[in-house]
Amino acid sequence: MSKKSKVMNCVQYIILIILAFISVFPFFWMVIAATNKSVDVTKGTLIPGTYLLENLNTLMSSDLQYFTAFKNSLMIAVITTTLAMIVSSAAGYAFEVYKSKARDFVFNIILLSMMVPFAALMVPLFRLFSKFNSIPVLNTIGLNTPGAVIIIAVATAFLIFFFRQNTKTFPKDLIEAARIDGLGEFQIFLRIYMPTMKSTYAAATVVTFMTSWNNYLWPLIALQSENKRTLPLIISAMGSSYTPDYGMIMTAVVLATLPTTILFFVMQKQFVAGMTGSVKG
Amino acid sequence: MKGNTQNKWNIRAWLFVIPSVILIIAFVFYPMIQAFITSFQTGMVDNLSFGGIANYKRLLTDSTFKKALFNTILFLIVQVPIMIFLALIVSSMLNNKKLKFRGLFRTAIFLPCVTSLVAYSIIFKSLFANDGFINGVLMNFHIVSEPINWLTETTFARLLIIIAITWRWTGYNMIFYLSGLQSIDDSIYEAASIDGATGSQKFRYMTLPLLKPIILFTTINSTIGTLQLFDEPMNITQGGPANTTITISQYIYNLLFKYQPNFGYAAAVSFVVVILIVILSFIQLKVGDKNE
Amino acid sequence: MRLKKVATLLLASTIVIGVTACGNSQNSGESSKSVAENGKDSKDDTLTIWAWDEAFNIKAAENAKEIFLKDNPDVKINIVTMAQDDIVAKLNTSLSSRSYAGLPDIVLIEDYKAQGYLTSYQDEFADLSDIAKKDDFASYKTAVNQVDGITYGVPFDSGVAATFYRTDLIEKAGYTKKDMEDITWEKYIEIGKAVKEKCGVSMCTLDPNDIGQIRMMMQSAGTWYTDADGKVSIANNQALKDAIAIYKELVKSGCTKQVSDWDQFVGAFNNGDVASVVIGCWIAPSIKKAEDQSGKWAIAPFPKMKENKDSVNASSIGGAGWYVIKNVGHEQLAKDFLAATFASNVDLMNTLAEKITLVSTLNAAAKAENYSKPSEFFGNQEIFGDFAKWTSEVPSVNYGLNTYAIEDLMTEAVQAIVGGADVDSILNDYQAQAEAAVGQ
Repeated sequence: MSKKSKVMNCVQYIILIILAFISVFPFFWMVIAATNKSVDVTKGTLIPGTYLLENLNTLMSSDLQYFTAFKNSLMIAVITTTLAMIVSSAAGYAFEVYKSKARDFVFNIILLSMMVPFAALMVPLFRLFSKFNSIPVLNTIGLNTPGAVIIIAVATAFLIFFFRQNTKTFPKDLIEAARIDGLGEFQIFLRIYMPTMKSTYAAATVVTFMTSWNNYLWPLIALQSENKRTLPLIISAMGSSYTPDYGMIMTAVVLATLPTTILFFVMQKQFVAGMTGSVKG
Repeated sequence: MKGNTQNKWNIRAWLFVIPSVILIIAFVFYPMIQAFITSFQTGMVDNLSFGGIANYKRLLTDSTFKKALFNTILFLIVQVPIMIFLALIVSSMLNNKKLKFRGLFRTAIFLPCVTSLVAYSIIFKSLFANDGFINGVLMNFHIVSEPINWLTETTFARLLIIIAITWRWTGYNMIFYLSGLQSIDDSIYEAASIDGATGSQKFRYMTLPLLKPIILFTTINSTIGTLQLFDEPMNITQGGPANTTITISQYIYNLLFKYQPNFGYAAAVSFVVVILIVILSFIQLKVGDKNE
Repeated sequence: MRLKKVATLLLASTIVIGVTACGNSQNSGESSKSVAENGKDSKDDTLTIWAWDEAFNIKAAENAKEIFLKDNPDVKINIVTMAQDDIVAKLNTSLSSRSYAGLPDIVLIEDYKAQGYLTSYQDEFADLSDIAKKDDFASYKTAVNQVDGITYGVPFDSGVAATFYRTDLIEKAGYTKKDMEDITWEKYIEIGKAVKEKCGVSMCTLDPNDIGQIRMMMQSAGTWYTDADGKVSIANNQALKDAIAIYKELVKSGCTKQVSDWDQFVGAFNNGDVASVVIGCWIAPSIKKAEDQSGKWAIAPFPKMKENKDSVNASSIGGAGWYVIKNVGHEQLAKDFLAATFASNVDLMNTLAEKITLVSTLNAAAKAENYSKPSEFFGNQEIFGDFAKWTSEVPSVNYGLNTYAIEDLMTEAVQAIVGGADVDSILNDYQAQAEAAVGQ
């Protein structure tokens, strides 16, 4: 190796170490903060404290119903992710496998929906959902129900696009073979496509779960009752409170970050592999 | 050709896509048309009446709207390129098979993506508080003599928002590039090395062109995301000081829920975002095509 | 394989949660229906109250709850602390869509905002005329909580403004308590500079997002962003111009400390970073949180504007009242609660005077024992007597319907003017914008 490239190599490591440090530091800080008293947190201490249990206690006894929110978030994220995996992947699959002119037209329309910002939909959506509350059946997705948050995240242009891209790498011979074996179109999707595309589903699951878990604006508007609120709403409320207890807030943040962190670590390999599929082709 | 007829778009194909189509029409296109109609109505709360283009006229003289538009576009043209560039550099570094601790670096740099926007906003707010950690470090190292008013001085508040978004989203974009790079055959790079290409040459003449479709995709995605920026300014600066970090989405929220609700005007403001996104995506697609 | 496990896990939890969720959502569907059908006999008999300041109005609600529960042991009362911004957002969302699930029965509303709500959502607030007699309360509250002669709110605290200051620091800077009495802002800044020089601490805090100081100065001269008829009055508002000029002076003086939110604002005086706070009397309990500073504080009247002939040494900021949201389901109970507590109970006011330094707007409270006691924390000053005296001197103004919509615009205008822009052209410009913003 030449001298120059050795220097370059060194620079590369230094850059990466700095970036990795910057990326991880806030996590480190938040975990430390969760073990300290509020006063010490605002002083910017970096020494782990012994206040974690007290912070947990304050969190549990606070009237913000943190664990109800945790449950709500988990429920919404799990149902949203499951439904989205089925609904959006079916569409992405069909858009790639079946061919016609109508298909491209419909697909482009769907892609167009990606360009509509949520802010533009806020008011009409809010009014639409408030009407649902007085209609039987539809009231399960009316305002102030978890359904309202779930239903609008089930079919997204991003996911459909993502699945269609990945389906390009799906060996079409498998479909032919299955048809010869006498499988119906839906069976092919369920029994052949889904198991083959595991890593695609893994990547989509991670992305969808995180998006849902972290969703803030629509729940902020759609969920009113205290016992319906999700974690981001509670955490935001804690942050804007008159006398924020930073030790408690950071404990809340750490706990709220756990599920997505775990999910990411468990599925990291598949996630990267699945993403690769979407950028090929 | 049995296979061909089977692959025809028919009733079964519709059954696959119909749930998605219905949901997207019901929760995107229908509300969008509603918003378009509302944008021609004026009045407060429920007392709406047809007002022609009054709302759109008001946009022209509304300083808060101009500020929101300016900030949003500022964040867009400053932050998105920085982030994309950073993500590209990092991912091409991480793509080097000889690099030690690759997995560790990758995981570390991706980690910010798992935090919720609200949660990390609060962390950043406290890190960058007047007497917070960052100011403490800066003063200890004598980089500044007085604490920086990150949250109350326009330039720093904007900078803080940009730092925050970059922190949160660089790793996310990196994953796309890394995936793209992994599908490129290593032998191409090796051949280039043998021909004496330097690292930056390889980056400029090989990595960039090969990743172009992905760069285009992430750019459009980030553009849409930035134009909708809400959580961070809402939770870090509340749009302050004096509306100098307010974004369009936040302004819409204020018009709807902070003051007496003005549905018509809020809808008009939101249509500006629609138009912006369509124009910008169109430009980006055109530019992407041209360089092909 | 790990993937399969995760998938199974996801699916299993979906089913479990899905089943419970369906149960839940059906319940909520039912309860929202029953509220829609008739708000009166909701099965759930918990009275919910929203307020925002844990050091102040939340404590007041808790004390009131205690009193009410003595006579009504079966009632459940749930007091919720919520940021004011969230209260505003939630009232707007729910009332504009008439979905009442999650709304409180009783909500504390700041005086500036009350008229806006009462006129926007006319049928949503309960008529409290029979429990809150107009003559029982400070007269200026009538303009706040009445629409067409009907009273919708039970006045709570006074917003009378005062200069809270650290006697030790002022003296160290070479001034006496007497120098703080009935002063002008010009004098205040002069003292501030001396404090900064001699003690090394700032005179007061400034928050670029909150120009309460300007509001107070305006009101001390009897004007507001809106005139007596509720029309936007920004251009040619001499008091506003004078107030902005003083504000600019204050910013340039170098004797202020910048804060970005309430927590930092309270922290500044609790930590001894500032020598004074000019704000409403309701800040007292927050000041008292710093027990080590007991005896070092005193209060003086609000500084007036030297250049403005109409300006007096009295003003007001904030202040709030309790309102009942009619359709949530416990209108009568909520009214009973307020009638027994904030609308009449002198004992409660007496307790609150001691506990949270409440300056009550209930006239009868003046006779309560604690209202004539000197305060040890404030150097044995008889603060309630002073507050009461200043309250009667506060010029009354019409807050209009949109104080905060205009104020958000004004933060921009003030920033531009402080940055050197021409006052008249900026104010003309923002007059037009404010008119557009409030739909006039």
